Amino acid sequence: MIRVWLIAKTTLLENSRKQVFHVLCLLMVAVIASSSLLSILTEGVKLKILKDLCMTCMMFGGAVLAIALGATGIPNDVESRTVHPVLARPITRVQYVVGKFFGTFITVGIGVGAMALAFGVLIYAYEHSFDTFLLTATGFTLLEVAVVAAVATAISTAASPAITAVVTFLIYIAGTTKIGYLGGMIERSSSGSVGGVYRLIYHVLPNLECFNLKTALVHHDVVPTTYLIQVAVYGAVYTAFVLLAGCACFARREV
Amino acid sequence: MQPLLETCDLTKTYKLGRNRIKTAVDRLNLSVPEGVVFGFLGPNGAGKTTTIKMLLDFARPTKGSATVFGRPTTDPSTRELIGYLPEQPYFPKFLKPVEVLSIHASLAGVKRSSVKPIALNCLKRTGIEEYAYTPISKLSKGLTQRVGIAQSIVGDPKMLILDEPTSGLDPIGRRHIRDLLLELKDEGKTIFLSSHLLSEVESTCDIVAVLKSGKLVACGSPEEVTNGNSVVNVETQRLAPEPREALKFLHVGVEQRAETTMLSVDPKQVYQVMRVLETHAVSIIRIDTKRESLEEAFLRLAA
Repeated sequence: MIRVWLIAKTTLLENSRKQVFHVLCLLMVAVIASSSLLSILTEGVKLKILKDLCMTCMMFGGAVLAIALGATGIPNDVESRTVHPVLARPITRVQYVVGKFFGTFITVGIGVGAMALAFGVLIYAYEHSFDTFLLTATGFTLLEVAVVAAVATAISTAASPAITAVVTFLIYIAGTTKIGYLGGMIERSSSGSVGGVYRLIYHVLPNLECFNLKTALVHHDVVPTTYLIQVAVYGAVYTAFVLLAGCACFARREV
Repeated sequence: MQPLLETCDLTKTYKLGRNRIKTAVDRLNLSVPEGVVFGFLGPNGAGKTTTIKMLLDFARPTKGSATVFGRPTTDPSTRELIGYLPEQPYFPKFLKPVEVLSIHASLAGVKRSSVKPIALNCLKRTGIEEYAYTPISKLSKGLTQRVGIAQSIVGDPKMLILDEPTSGLDPIGRRHIRDLLLELKDEGKTIFLSSHLLSEVESTCDIVAVLKSGKLVACGSPEEVTNGNSVVNVETQRLAPEPREALKFLHVGVEQRAETTMLSVDPKQVYQVMRVLETHAVSIIRIDTKRESLEEAFLRLAA
């Protein structure tokens, strides 16, 4: 476990020095902070739009960060050969991949945390009270980020940073829209084999929409605890499964 | 001596195209006993780095096997006892040497309380303790190389695999590292050294293996590799065309100088050459025997 942590720590230090991390975090925090300029709207609607915008910023910003950092970690190490002295130590390839994932996840978590803090301060300034559901929504945003980071890390074990970034982004888009779009296609498909292919894609793609608690936060909806537990388990299992596939791929790769 | 590292018909091939296969390492059989400095030589593209990659499980052999400490190289526990210096080592540029070594010490299983003192001691041994807290990005190539060497000895490994350890070092640095290697050998460490600097290999290695196009062409002590290839140098008065023609048939190396001629003669042909010189009444100025250097043997074997 200590070896995984050492890899994660080095990845965290490396990622936190990357320009893309600073620029994206600052940009998203700036968007959240400047959303208070929506004062042209009436107070009630304004707060809802503000929450909607801030949550979107957090979720999209977190996903972009996870893609940008997850796609470059392993390929850059292999390309620059910094991976050689590390893998010459008594660590397994699984420990290395898992360490890289955790390093990326913690870095993105720090970014999302900064955005959530700015969001929380803004809401407090308007409502003069703290909505504790914001913590739950942030937690599930982090879970979504973990899935995206795991997908990027797994693909990066076999592909270049550019291909990884593009493919992960497409998976992210598909994962956030699949219920409406793919679900409709499954319903409309007449052929059994075509429907089977759609169903396969539907189940293999991550369901990222389930981590989105934006509507509940905006409208103060009550979300059942069992649903939250199911989604948390789904996120953890999907992340573990994707990472396992990435580890299996990296175990065979020549570095 | 018990072999610490053994390869058995180790082979690695790469597909270059649809019908093109390149054999990087071809049925390599090596045996490295404990406590020796093993020189691994070969021209560029001979398969040295590919062999090292297979020994560290960075690449899997196409055929054959390799064992370190009697265990297959695929077993990560073998690397607990190995220190590795890659050719032109790279480390995260934002880290400082002491941080790099601390991470590697922890990965090697050093106790948390001993990590920093060990890291600093390794930097001291490689002569760069004053740069312990300078970011890697600010270090020269030679200093980064020394960080790499310090990284390889951290955790007190039993065996060191060093790929071009003196690359990028100035003569003082090279001497320092050569002394360090001999010091490590005295401590009982086994050193697997891949280098192009043959004088360095000759002065430090107990066993030398020469690789050519992936095949082992020579293996033994430096004396064995160069054995039987001494040359007798005969300096004579400047030769006239007639004896020169006669010597041509004996495949003697003839170098005409201003006043004299230098002949490089195979020891087995000395008597025949002397007979030719006697027939043509050539005066002999000097005769000496020169043993083939490792560099000459390398050029003979690998060219």
